[in-house]
Amino acid sequence: MDSSELYHVKQQFILGAYKTLVDLSLPDPNSPDHTPTLLYQARAHIALNNPKAAIALLPDGSSNVAVKAAASLARYVAATDAASKDSQLEDLRDLAVEIEGEDADGSEKDRALVRVLAGTAFARAGEVEEALETLGGATEDLEAVSVIVQIYLSINRPDLARKEFDRAKKWAEDDLLLQLIESTIGLVSGKDGYSNCNSFYTEQIGNPSLSSPHLLTARGVTRILRNEFPEAKSDLEESMEQQKGDAETLAAYVVASGLAAPKKPEVDELWNRLVSEHPEHPLVVDVASKAQLFDECAAKFEVPPTAAARA
Amino acid sequence: MSVMLTKFESKSNRVKGLAFHPTQPLLAAALHNGSVQLWNYRMGVLVDRFEEHEGPVRGVAIHPSRALLVTGGDDYKIKVWDIRPQNRRCLFTLHGHLDYVRTVQFHHEMPWILSTSDDQTIRIWNSTSRNCIAILTGHSHYVMSAQFHPKDDLIVSASMDQTVRVWDISGLRKNTPNQGGPGGNPGNGPGNFETFDNFSTVKYVLEGHDRGVNFAVFHPTLPLIISAADDRQIKIWRMSETKAWEVDSCRGHFNNVSSALFHPKHELIVSCGEDKTVRVWDLAKRTAIQTFRREHDRFWVLAAHPQLNLFAAGHDSGLIVFKLERERPAFAVHQDSLYYIRDKYVRAYDFNSGSDIGLLSVRKFGSPYVPPRTLSYNPAERAVLSTISSDGGIFELSTLPQGQQGDVKDSSADGKKGTGQSAIFVARNRFAVLNKATQLIEVRDLSNSVVKTIKPPVQTNEIFYGGTASLILSSTTTVVLYDIQQQKTIAEVNSPPVKYVVWNSDSSLVALMSKHTITIANRTFSQHSLIHETIRIKSGAWDDAGVFIYSTLNHIKYCLNQGDHGVICTLDNPVYLTRVKGKTVHCLDRSARPRTITFDPTEYRFKLALLRNNYEEMLYIIKTSTLLGQSIIGYLQQKGFPEIALHFVQDTNTRFELAIECGNLDVAMEMAKTIDRPECWERLAQQALKQGNHKIVEKAYQQTKNFDKLSFLYLATGSTDKLSKMQKIADARGDPMSRFHNALYAGDVHGRIAVLRDVGLHPLAYLTAKTNGLDDLALEILQAAGLTEADIDDVPTFGASSLKPPPVVTPTTDLNWPAVAGPENFWDRALASGALEGGVESPYANGDAGGVAASSALDAWAKEEEEIPDDLDPEEGGWELDADGGDFQSAADEEEAVPEDEELGAGASPGVSEVEHWTRNSPLAADHVAAGAFESAMQLLNRQLGIVNFNVLKPIFISIYRSSHTYLSPVASLPPLHLHVRRDITESAPSRVLPVAARTLQSVRSELAEGYRFVSGNKLAEAQQSFRSVLQSLLLVVLSSDDEAKLWRDTVTAAREYLLGVTIELERRRVAEQEPDNVARNLELAAYFTHCQLQPPHMQIALRSAIGVYAKANNQAHAARFAKRLLELKPDPKIVAQARQRIAAGDRNPRNAVEVAYDEFTPFEICGVTFTPIYRGSPAVHCPYTDASYHPQFKGSLDPLTQLTEIGATASGMPAPWSDGR
Repeated sequence: MDSSELYHVKQQFILGAYKTLVDLSLPDPNSPDHTPTLLYQARAHIALNNPKAAIALLPDGSSNVAVKAAASLARYVAATDAASKDSQLEDLRDLAVEIEGEDADGSEKDRALVRVLAGTAFARAGEVEEALETLGGATEDLEAVSVIVQIYLSINRPDLARKEFDRAKKWAEDDLLLQLIESTIGLVSGKDGYSNCNSFYTEQIGNPSLSSPHLLTARGVTRILRNEFPEAKSDLEESMEQQKGDAETLAAYVVASGLAAPKKPEVDELWNRLVSEHPEHPLVVDVASKAQLFDECAAKFEVPPTAAARA
Repeated sequence: MSVMLTKFESKSNRVKGLAFHPTQPLLAAALHNGSVQLWNYRMGVLVDRFEEHEGPVRGVAIHPSRALLVTGGDDYKIKVWDIRPQNRRCLFTLHGHLDYVRTVQFHHEMPWILSTSDDQTIRIWNSTSRNCIAILTGHSHYVMSAQFHPKDDLIVSASMDQTVRVWDISGLRKNTPNQGGPGGNPGNGPGNFETFDNFSTVKYVLEGHDRGVNFAVFHPTLPLIISAADDRQIKIWRMSETKAWEVDSCRGHFNNVSSALFHPKHELIVSCGEDKTVRVWDLAKRTAIQTFRREHDRFWVLAAHPQLNLFAAGHDSGLIVFKLERERPAFAVHQDSLYYIRDKYVRAYDFNSGSDIGLLSVRKFGSPYVPPRTLSYNPAERAVLSTISSDGGIFELSTLPQGQQGDVKDSSADGKKGTGQSAIFVARNRFAVLNKATQLIEVRDLSNSVVKTIKPPVQTNEIFYGGTASLILSSTTTVVLYDIQQQKTIAEVNSPPVKYVVWNSDSSLVALMSKHTITIANRTFSQHSLIHETIRIKSGAWDDAGVFIYSTLNHIKYCLNQGDHGVICTLDNPVYLTRVKGKTVHCLDRSARPRTITFDPTEYRFKLALLRNNYEEMLYIIKTSTLLGQSIIGYLQQKGFPEIALHFVQDTNTRFELAIECGNLDVAMEMAKTIDRPECWERLAQQALKQGNHKIVEKAYQQTKNFDKLSFLYLATGSTDKLSKMQKIADARGDPMSRFHNALYAGDVHGRIAVLRDVGLHPLAYLTAKTNGLDDLALEILQAAGLTEADIDDVPTFGASSLKPPPVVTPTTDLNWPAVAGPENFWDRALASGALEGGVESPYANGDAGGVAASSALDAWAKEEEEIPDDLDPEEGGWELDADGGDFQSAADEEEAVPEDEELGAGASPGVSEVEHWTRNSPLAADHVAAGAFESAMQLLNRQLGIVNFNVLKPIFISIYRSSHTYLSPVASLPPLHLHVRRDITESAPSRVLPVAARTLQSVRSELAEGYRFVSGNKLAEAQQSFRSVLQSLLLVVLSSDDEAKLWRDTVTAAREYLLGVTIELERRRVAEQEPDNVARNLELAAYFTHCQLQPPHMQIALRSAIGVYAKANNQAHAARFAKRLLELKPDPKIVAQARQRIAAGDRNPRNAVEVAYDEFTPFEICGVTFTPIYRGSPAVHCPYTDASYHPQFKGSLDPLTQLTEIGATASGMPAPWSDGR
């Protein structure tokens, strides 16, 4: 059983309150909570796309496999060239193999975390099979389940995600993370008009023990999916105020504005802002590729000369 | 009365009381030994026993509407029981009688129980408050029976004091306003007798019997009473308002008469007595009709079913249930008409219109108490031939009156009679009559003279039509097809006595029904199949598809030609099927009233389709109905179609079994994952090995951690990297044997040596190193063992080993080859194509067909009954029609997944993405754009609206695509999840999801309004841009209804007209500026502008502009015309004044200074390129999208107005996606 501090840290991490988590002061190094908190903080840094801070935070030469894995993931996220990315992946692979042995280092928890971190890295690298393999088919680690579910969803297998979730439901009781997983599946499958996701996020926004703009963004996105565009905009605006420069929120805001009033010029302004500030965001990348596709497709149609009176 | 049919008999102690259940086939019997039995007389089983009375139980009754039973016994007690199957128990006991209780009865509406006792009283109890509410005193001896009047507040009682008394209890009803409340009768203790006398008075005392009277009862409708007494007589009494008197007596019983009842439907009396007889009397004539004798048993009690033709009689050693006449109505079906006999009238019923009219009376045919047995119809002569079993069996041939409206005639008028037990038409002008006694079949003509006599080859009990010039003869053991002409047997089939014969519509098949069997035969009896039923078979009819539908006592069932049969629905009461049409069964009930029953033919149609290999039909059935359940799965498996059964199975274990059986490894794999038990994986591995799918084998071995086999498999498939991985795993497991194996398989000499060294087998390690030429290593081993070369001089030297695993020639790791090809079947294709969705929910369900009678109350009973017969079909209740159709979809989805296997836990291959569903689900370009399928979107626009120039649409395409997708990262550091905005958020079935409507007609119309404002504000260039943009946006608007589609078209037209008008005006201004000399062109364009369909305010602008231009050019006549048109639009008064001036000027000077090409009186369109008129009738080409007109020479060019389409291209128009055709 986790201590209440650690539980709180975990909750913040799961619900995406990374900013708050990063600003937390670490407990005493001798406390059993030290390393887990450290790890969550490091992962929060990574999630905020600030892997350098994570690397700085994590002690060098730790013998803890989870710390090693977190460091590898941080370096992997930080890496810019393919070679160093590969080397970090290789490290994670080694770690994943290392923990498989019966006399491997680290507690069961640490090993589970190694799998999650390695799986995350593999999924980022697009190695879906390897990620799933690393996470294991019969895991009883909810974090692993959440990663597995998202991977399934990303490859359009909501059926498998649902199965994985149903399986987890049997042993995970009503864990917060489990609810999050369920709502994630709901966002993709759209059962019951997204009402479950909507109420989950609304409930967590009302959670007094934390505040996370990520939740506002998530509800904003849910509301977009529910075709409630003005409401979505207001959620997203609020979220943007709390975390300036969050790509996800801005991207969702573009979509919400576009659907609320398609012809307004500010939509294009927002879009240009997103493109210039976050050129890496998948929406930007995707739309850019679609623009290219458009040109290719349009070129296949021969445009006859415009009819002219004196032609 | 020639028949008394015993339906059920039981052996027991003496039966003193009997009561029928009003709706269920139950009979309560009170026994002299203290037991009360509850029998199901239809099934012949004892349902329950109630044994709390001490000593004989004499009185028993069942509540008319509630599940209650009341009994009264010699222990002075009256007990009320709950008889619902789940909680059978005694609810309460009424104490008060001071001697044996003789009879008990529930009141039909009040919560009253009536009881009589040897204590000379009749008591009425409130069953709610459980108090005695009245005590009727007056009889001076045992009161043997008391019965409520079926309607009035009267009671009739019979006593050993030789009187029958009628009591008026109307006071009781009046004085119990709070009836039902426990406090309704304050102070009425059981001892408080006097108070009751207010309520009830003796109305009549009927004296006449000169011995004790055993039983007396009211007639259900007439003011009559019958009584049965120890003076061996049954007396009939009549009552008026003021008096009652004896009418007559029925004499015949030669011992005490125990009971007598009115027949509930006919004018008959049934009685029984200690002379061991049951007798039937004619109520009108008071003559005995029939006597049924029993050898040893005296009869004590009689009961009549309240609705059915059923009676029960209790005697010394049990009870019998019997009926007095056949209830099967005589009928014949011809095309869409049913001819049948009800109440001695031949009637015609039209299956289509439901008209039902009487045609012919057969009242004078045979005994008045016996209904005719059979009817045969001759359409050519419009004649009927009926038989009756009275008078030794006679037949009558009579013609039906012509015309439907004719008066009902009596058959005795022209009927031709004769003796015969069985008579049928065999040809247009011939009929055959069987005389059973002489065993002769006479063929007669319509004048009733014998033309031929046949001696049947077998002992014949009945004859039926056997096809042209043929007869079917039914004997005790066989059925014979007999040719009348040649007088010889064509075929003979063994069968129990055949009672009914039904031919199918094209006379190719015949069903021969006997009591418990049905033989389905072809017309020559050369092929036949037999169905056995434990329950009595009643009737049958052929369905249009060639399926025989038949009814038993309690079911409607089907049977297929090859003998498969199953239940269609349950019946409360037997019916006689006459015709089956689609989902409707036409039948006659026991009172010969036509009825229809709607049922679900899905099951047998499906089976039929299966038999005929009609896969399309099967697929159609699966699509349109929810066909699930164990029965169909079992059936399919049994019939050898496991692969089809697979599509119906939900249960994972069954699914796994089936998948293994039919070798569908993908499904088996899927299920094994769900079940995840070692034995499953092992079976999967075996099956996969058989089929050569080593990837699945691998997966299965991995799941069971079968390392040895796994290693060997890798060796066999030449998967060297996996082998090295296995080595690592073996390392991790610390299993040296496995390490050695893997090293051996992998050809890893170092690995082998390392293992040997690790386990201390230094000599072997040394030798291995040595023989593989690794001398350094060998030396190292020696040193480690503390030895030198010298120490091992005695070891013989071996040659260098060349032993190593063979090289991999064909790396089969990534190939599943050779695999046993699974039979590619129709189902996989049909289901994989995603064609199957949760079908339409069946609007009907199998259930109690006769839902009229309180069927819900009967459900529990019905279930119980159905469990009793041992031939109970597995289909019963198996058709779970409520099953969720959505599961089909998921099954189909899984089919779609390419079964490419991955490693370890990663059993997932990418599925179909949402955007792909969008494109599949919609024919609309807008949806394809939202899905990012720009190419297909363009093709659609090109095909539907002739769009060729897409470049201008790029911003719209991109913005729609952008607006339909959003991202969220629920899990830290993973790439965000791609989410898709849907149009209908309540729709989540992949086969129906559609993208959000990014552009709505509403938003585009507001854009159009903006264009209008530009026009009003004279910003024509902006307006032109705006209208073009509107037309572009309209291309990608999602429509949801016909109304919207119309509005869409109107919007397109409006935008086009404005675009055209604005463009003309812009051109005019250019001309005015750049070619000031070209006045005529200027004028023309101004005129054309007024011919665009603009809204009135804009039209005013156009007209005023034209007036100005024409006035300036001194074309006064034209200007006046424009002014007149302006007036019609009712503009501002100021403008009106100006217009009038202009008209006045025109009138003064009706001339035009400049000649212009403008003829306002001939309708014209304006060419969008040249801005010249195209008068009606002149050739023109059109824009395929906006329908703008052009001179023909512009065909094939780009439309200059919208800049989108190719002029004159063919286009199919916008599809109508809202009429969801799937």
